[in-house]
Amino acid sequence: MLDNRDNARGLPQLLHMPGTRLMAAALTALALGYIAWKIGQSPPQALQFAFNGLAVGAVYALLAMGFTLVYSTVWFFDLYYGVAAALGAYGVFYLRTDPSLGSRLDINNAYVNVIFGAVVAGVIAWTLHTVLEPRLRGRASPSVIRTGGVVAGVAVGVYTAVVLSYPEYLHVTLSPAIGLATGIIAAMAAYRAGRTVFQGLRPMPFVMAAALPAGALGAWCGYLLSNAPGAGLYLSWGVSCLLAGCVGLALYRGLYVYMRERARSPLIMLVASLGILLAIAALIVIVFQSAPRPLPDAFGSTTWNIAGARIKGFNVFAIGVALAGFASMWFLLKMTSFGRAVRAIGDDEEVSKVVGINTTVIIAAVFFIGALYAAMAGILTGHDTAVQPRMGLLLLLKGWIASVVGGIGNLYGAIVGGFVLGLVEQFGIWDIAGEWKDAISFVLLILFLSFWPQGLLPRK
Amino acid sequence: MPVNLEGVREFARLAQNPQELVRHARGNIELWANLFVIGWAIAFLLWQGFGFAVIVGTVFAIWAILAVSLNLVVGFTGLLSVGHIGFFGLGAYTMAILTSNPAYEQLRTEAIPTFGWSFFAALPVCIGLAGLAALLVGVVFNRFRDDIFVLVSFGFAIIAFNVFLNLRSVTRGAFGIHEIARPQIGNWVFDGEVEFLLLGLAFLALVMLVSWFITTSSFGRVLTAIREDEQAIEVFGYRATHYKLAVWVISAMMTGLAGGLFASWTTFIDPNSFILLESVLLVSIVILGGLATIWGSLLGAMAFVLLEEGMRFIPFLPTEYIGQARQVILGILLVLLMLFRPQGLVGRYRL
Repeated sequence: MLDNRDNARGLPQLLHMPGTRLMAAALTALALGYIAWKIGQSPPQALQFAFNGLAVGAVYALLAMGFTLVYSTVWFFDLYYGVAAALGAYGVFYLRTDPSLGSRLDINNAYVNVIFGAVVAGVIAWTLHTVLEPRLRGRASPSVIRTGGVVAGVAVGVYTAVVLSYPEYLHVTLSPAIGLATGIIAAMAAYRAGRTVFQGLRPMPFVMAAALPAGALGAWCGYLLSNAPGAGLYLSWGVSCLLAGCVGLALYRGLYVYMRERARSPLIMLVASLGILLAIAALIVIVFQSAPRPLPDAFGSTTWNIAGARIKGFNVFAIGVALAGFASMWFLLKMTSFGRAVRAIGDDEEVSKVVGINTTVIIAAVFFIGALYAAMAGILTGHDTAVQPRMGLLLLLKGWIASVVGGIGNLYGAIVGGFVLGLVEQFGIWDIAGEWKDAISFVLLILFLSFWPQGLLPRK
Repeated sequence: MPVNLEGVREFARLAQNPQELVRHARGNIELWANLFVIGWAIAFLLWQGFGFAVIVGTVFAIWAILAVSLNLVVGFTGLLSVGHIGFFGLGAYTMAILTSNPAYEQLRTEAIPTFGWSFFAALPVCIGLAGLAALLVGVVFNRFRDDIFVLVSFGFAIIAFNVFLNLRSVTRGAFGIHEIARPQIGNWVFDGEVEFLLLGLAFLALVMLVSWFITTSSFGRVLTAIREDEQAIEVFGYRATHYKLAVWVISAMMTGLAGGLFASWTTFIDPNSFILLESVLLVSIVILGGLATIWGSLLGAMAFVLLEEGMRFIPFLPTEYIGQARQVILGILLVLLMLFRPQGLVGRYRL
């Protein structure tokens, strides 16, 4: 088993050399001076670059947040996140390209649908079994629970395959699921509220009182959705994020759990995830060919002119998604018992197990959420530029750099680092060709590791 | 010799008693891996004939030089470098610029500097430049370990690729450089594939020999000690950073040699040969074959090359998917190895 506490291990200490801090300060001053000079030269252009930087930074911030969440919990670099980004983007491509774009390529592949259906079935069966089994123990026989889990899993898997097979009718095929989810959530909320207000009463009347209106609400939502063809875009985002998350969870459950028990060093995990990256990226090439392809326009392709800068609506949306992602992760980590459990596992996994945290379930959820964030970042990149099978590795590395710049293992650091990286990249290519921006971000990484290894906001 | 002699000797001892041999072979993964890959190579040779095997052999020689040199860093010193493709590309571009045909180059609109040197004059420059670059990079990278070292070496590979692609006044960017000279001694040009195969194998033997000297010397023992515990060896008064820098530079020089050889063999290079993916494949070869053995690197390179050539003959696999299908298999193999055999097929060191 890996020892977690040992594990800011790759991070170097600050150089023990006189003048290191002086040099870092000088470099920072130089960079800031250059930016200030550039802003003075042409403010509208500076505004344009700043906006572009924020738009790119939003993607990096999303990646860095997911990455930081996973890294600070299990302490190894999981390269699957690159694949998750590519899977998310290609999921939207799979679901959204219509024949009028001429790019359908008879992609709707039965093998792909079946494979994703099977993965989802496995994940659902496992989740139901692990989460519900302790609660139902004693009320139902183990074989009944197991059979129920498997049946439910297979049903959801078949449903997934059907949804994937008819991507143009997403709003119809998904309406029962969304109606059901809405109904259940509404019923739970009503039940909780009722229990809080009328304490000490028997629960049965509340259940009835909550279930009827909630069921009606769910049916209404489902009906509305099934009549809304425009919803296909958002639903395709949701479906591809969930699929990428399910693959991440399946990898954790099917592989990493066993590997973490045996692994002597984080490098083993790194190399294994490198193998996964190689294999899945090549599979994506086989299914979708290697040429870069544009995703169909989402919305916000109109540009506004603000003080001489051209601002694209979709980029504003991307920044909004990053901020919303940050807010929801902040809530999840700082306000819920789940967040406490995640931080406890990050500090010491063995002890958290001893005090009764179900580490397997919590880490599985962490992997799922991390993959969701990466998939979101991949989708935003895809809509903004294009999808490419090999986009994942570079995106992942950018997210990694952003989290090093911001401070590894710190949520605030992740979002700050993402935006800083985006801004530096954009201001860096002011005077030189835009193709150098990858090199610029890695130079930034090396400078940070040399002079400021703990990042802007170090983890306490 | 670099080939694992103890193994051969032990095999000879066991071969005297067949029953002992059978008992020994059961469950001995190393033996089976060796037999499988070598048997595959022989079967391939018999099946495809000599002419085709010559081309495959040259590809194998270049990959093997790369794998042996990377194994010095990854296997013997324990630094997982994904950036060696940068040195490979540097060697290849140096060779290309120094030896490409000036007359041909002037026909093109975008002129780059040309020198028209011969292969053997340019090769030391390739090696030297790769070593110099490694020295500069190594001074910065020396302080990083484990995960962070992997990250910065990814970074080096990407920076190098960016330079090859975007420094158009020197590398001609995506158009690539044509008409790179083949090696020539006096009037004898290494024009045929057989001659080039022999040259490649000769360089492979040279690299293996150097590698063997390094790993069996006291220098190599210090490297192994650094891999096992860096702090412990520093207590004994060895400056670990100096040793790591030295092996990094030596390995990069061998990689630069492979780059020069590659450029001269293909006679045309463009940045697509030096993408990050190639570097990842190279690391997979080293890990697949086995860490901290020279023989393992040869085995890994051989398995890698044969995998591609062997897959050409799977009937239902379209040709354009061969490279991808090979990556899928390689990826799955890596995962399986990490699960069950972290030292690779014949390795001496568990990652």
